[in-house]
Amino acid sequence: MDRRHFLKQSTLASSLFFVPNFVKAFENLSTTSLGYKRLVIIQLAGGNDGLNTIIPFNNDVYYRNRPTIGIQKKEIIKVTDELGFHSNLLPLKKLYDQGHLTIINNVGYPNPNRSHFRSTDIWQTASNSDQYLQTGWIGRYLDEYGNKPYNAIEIDDSLSLALKGQNINGIATKNPEVLFRTSQDPYFKNVLDHYQDEHLSEHNLGYLYKTMIAAESSAKYIFEKHKTASNKQEYPNNEFANQLKTTSKLINSGIETKVFYSSLGGFDTHVGQLNKQSRLLKIYAESVEAFVSDLKEQGTFNDTLILTFSEFGRRVKQNAANGTDHGAASNVFIIGNQFKTPGFYNDLSSLSNLDDNGDLKYSVDFRSIYATVLRKWLGVEDKTILNKNFTKLDFI
Amino acid sequence: MKQQDIQHLYWRAGFGVTPDLLNNLSNLDKHQVVNELFQKSSRPSRLEIDTSELEHYTLKSLLKNKSKRREFITKSTDKLKVFNTLWVNRLVTTDELLREKMTLFWANHFVCRDTNIFHIQQYNNTIRNNALGDFGDFVKAISKEAAMIKYLNNKQNRKQKPNENFARELMELFTLGEGHYTEEDIKESARAFTGYSHDFEGEFVLRKRRHDYGFKTFFDHTGRYDGDDIIDMILEQKQCARFICRKIYSYFVNEIIDEHKVEELATVFYKDYNIENLMRHLFMSDWFYDEVHIGSKIKSPIEFLVGMTRTVPVEFKKTKDVLKIQKLLGQILLNPPNVAGWKGGKSWIDSNTIMLRLKLPSILLANAKISIKEKGEFKDSFEKYYSKKNENRFVSVKIDWETFEKRYSNSSFDDLKHQLIIPELSDGTKTYLKTLSQNSKRNFCVQLMSLPEYQMC
Repeated sequence: MDRRHFLKQSTLASSLFFVPNFVKAFENLSTTSLGYKRLVIIQLAGGNDGLNTIIPFNNDVYYRNRPTIGIQKKEIIKVTDELGFHSNLLPLKKLYDQGHLTIINNVGYPNPNRSHFRSTDIWQTASNSDQYLQTGWIGRYLDEYGNKPYNAIEIDDSLSLALKGQNINGIATKNPEVLFRTSQDPYFKNVLDHYQDEHLSEHNLGYLYKTMIAAESSAKYIFEKHKTASNKQEYPNNEFANQLKTTSKLINSGIETKVFYSSLGGFDTHVGQLNKQSRLLKIYAESVEAFVSDLKEQGTFNDTLILTFSEFGRRVKQNAANGTDHGAASNVFIIGNQFKTPGFYNDLSSLSNLDDNGDLKYSVDFRSIYATVLRKWLGVEDKTILNKNFTKLDFI
Repeated sequence: MKQQDIQHLYWRAGFGVTPDLLNNLSNLDKHQVVNELFQKSSRPSRLEIDTSELEHYTLKSLLKNKSKRREFITKSTDKLKVFNTLWVNRLVTTDELLREKMTLFWANHFVCRDTNIFHIQQYNNTIRNNALGDFGDFVKAISKEAAMIKYLNNKQNRKQKPNENFARELMELFTLGEGHYTEEDIKESARAFTGYSHDFEGEFVLRKRRHDYGFKTFFDHTGRYDGDDIIDMILEQKQCARFICRKIYSYFVNEIIDEHKVEELATVFYKDYNIENLMRHLFMSDWFYDEVHIGSKIKSPIEFLVGMTRTVPVEFKKTKDVLKIQKLLGQILLNPPNVAGWKGGKSWIDSNTIMLRLKLPSILLANAKISIKEKGEFKDSFEKYYSKKNENRFVSVKIDWETFEKRYSNSSFDDLKHQLIIPELSDGTKTYLKTLSQNSKRNFCVQLMSLPEYQMC
């Protein structure tokens, strides 16, 4: 064992054995001005069909428009006189019963765009539908209030626009150990130690150098935090559940990360929707259930808010291929333990008063939800991040 | 032609240039160099794998038998992986540089995905055949490709129940760009593409009973338009030429758009929509070789990987390794993230991909170890890496250093640096490189390739 290696190990040992417990406990709470509340964002990518997720089972218009893919009353988990859950969302129904779930109906934005690419950009950048922003809303949050890439982590191999700011980006990792090992190369360290060209163009080469420097220190920090924590629940065996499993470990390590981002894809059900969607909803609900239990058991659920959205809902009328085409407004799920009025935040919009494309009209701008989360949950100035004042909702 | 300009041209129109070729081309003028580039790409070479073991399947046998259908899809998916690596290999070995680079460009323009190897192979070769041809013919051919008909749901697009997916992306992503058409234009043009379908082999079929022969109102004109008519009407808009040229400029010249230059290109392109003429104009323009453009582009993962293996030939022993590398770098050929394709530029780079990119040359070529031996240090354990090179665990490769050494035998260390690194080295890195021992061109090659500067072209 060489000297440096030994020193490293002994520092590590001392931090494990000699630091008094109350100090470690304190470390796990807020260590920065960012506060200790965390936000977990889940995107159901591809455009989830909200109407077959939360189903208006007493609505004839629904069944008339969906002769072969409408979900039969007897299969629905009814929760109000009008609305019920898809049968694979039983775990979500349990959260609903415990007051941990708020469902906001008809979430969208003016002049909805029906392209995945564009609408995902709109949701991720919090722009108007005719506005093109190069930064994501979480990225701008980092610009204002963060200082390290790991303040926002995407559990994936690659980083979404949502986490890209003007001056700082989040970091993506599916596996903190792999990330760390890659970053530790003596040659890189030497190259980076010699780096002095502050004037290099931010547009290309300078960007590469700066990204590398930030990556190296973030990888180290995330890895060191990650290895101190564990999971206290069994998770289903799929990639999405693994994302939440890693998220939970990181949250429970006391890492200085405010926002976690993950996604579940495959919701673009133009053809043969029923089987595809129910399989995905099952994956979603069971994974979230394990995640919430894990956080509860480790005492971190109170300080975690989970926001689930999709870039758009789908058309009310089904198509000829037993599927649905791209639509507009849809529902957003918010899971947590600090709600004023859990349950349904608002009623479902009319299914007969649709927009010109035959899609649900929005009644809640998604940016009102962002503004509420920023102001009331993360405790920051929402207007500077969203570039505009949006009405705050009163679910938190 | 100046060496730097040749390197620039060959990186943008291809995947770099070998010392021999660079030497030969240096004696020619720009006109001759550009001509040679087009000359070598004048005829497309089909890219094809052996699919004989799949040829006994018929539509009838698949329709009747669900397990046969599953078997077909599994085998076909495996063949797609083979096709992917054959494509990568083509990029590494081809002399038809420009055609292959254009094929890569258009494959990320007319973005498509499918699991049927026959249809994907046909689609890929349609792109290759049209890559330097007439843009109008190109769009029409794409609209009739089986893979595209499936990917954007024209197959479900029927007179009784139109499906707008293809019509929307045709305008948003393939020809005009967001904001240059109305929702009404999409609805009406979708009707013109109703009934588009294909047979089992992948040949285009118009299902007459599903096609809407009625009047459509599109861009303020009314007629009984079919799909080709709609494409012709789109091409009449100069915006279409602008949209394509903007993308060409961003890909081949600089991500920072110069609107005047785009307009110049669009005016050339709008005349006849001939792609070869457009590219010739671009490569002959003096401004293409402006200092600001040289080394300003972040290589795509494929450009990075192909460029590297064109310098040091590497043979991957397993198909899945080639796919794994593409996945981790963020670009698997034939497997784009969505219909908009890969965004490119800075979006290739984040904390994760930058680390892997800097690490990959040493992973492939030097057992994941980059020499940090300083000047005056003894020749030591570094030789051992090479003796163990076949035990590489991350990927299993056979490295052909002999070819590398032959190629660069007349190059000094300084030449090697200039040939591998396109942009100006940053000051600190220049200083650091000077401290390193220069005993072996192999080591130096790996060191150069492990620099952020190597990511640029």
